[in-house]
Amino acid sequence: MDYQLQDQTLIFHFEGDFDNVAVGKVKETCAALIETHRPKLVKLDFQKVDFVDSTGIGFVLARYKQIKKYDGELVLCNLSSSQKRLFHMSGIFRIIRLEQSEVLI
Amino acid sequence: MNRMKLSFCSHLENEAFARTSVIAFLMPLSMSVEEVMEIKTIMAEAIVNAMIHGYEGREDGEVIVSVSYDEQKIVTIIVEDQGCGIPDIDLAMQPLYTSKAHLERSGMGMSIMSAFADEFYVNSKVDCGTTVTIIKQIHGIEDQQ
Repeated sequence: MDYQLQDQTLIFHFEGDFDNVAVGKVKETCAALIETHRPKLVKLDFQKVDFVDSTGIGFVLARYKQIKKYDGELVLCNLSSSQKRLFHMSGIFRIIRLEQSEVLI
Repeated sequence: MNRMKLSFCSHLENEAFARTSVIAFLMPLSMSVEEVMEIKTIMAEAIVNAMIHGYEGREDGEVIVSVSYDEQKIVTIIVEDQGCGIPDIDLAMQPLYTSKAHLERSGMGMSIMSAFADEFYVNSKVDCGTTVTIIKQIHGIEDQQ
């Protein structure tokens, strides 16, 4: 996982398997960075993610709740069609915006 | 008919091992990319449930995965644990319900397994363990044209 912080935007780029073990490794770092900087916009980029399961949905929902507390916005970026299908089941797109373009700042 | 059985301890790291082993075993079925993803996800959900919920994070439990398929490419997957069991299966099956919200669980595991399987059964007994059975027809890449 790497991240970029510029102005009021924080972007996390995840890669490989975003499974239970991987989420366990990054969630505290992500939560701490958000808490420290309180960026207006947080983007989670899934472009290089090969696999995601319900642990990933739990992670996204937890970050959404964390960011909403201080009125920030969370955006999901570059989900593959099967990842979109998986996230769709949780109704997540009713509250979280999806952006399908390359995220570069 | 072909079958295999894996037994491993409830280390979280073993979930990826089991998920990829099942995909490797099913290679002769020439699954589509979508089917591979669905089986991988089903395996991840079932095994993580056994480890996190069944054994409540303890790493000395045993998880058993049995997989078989027949000439019609019907795959049967059984994931067993001898953990704490599920007191209320209907509640556990509800989308977004989780008993472990503090661990940032989404409560979507059961719904996802159910959606990706053709048939999905959960048998559980408190203090004895849980068995989930998934049956899925594989169409493979040849049939998609």
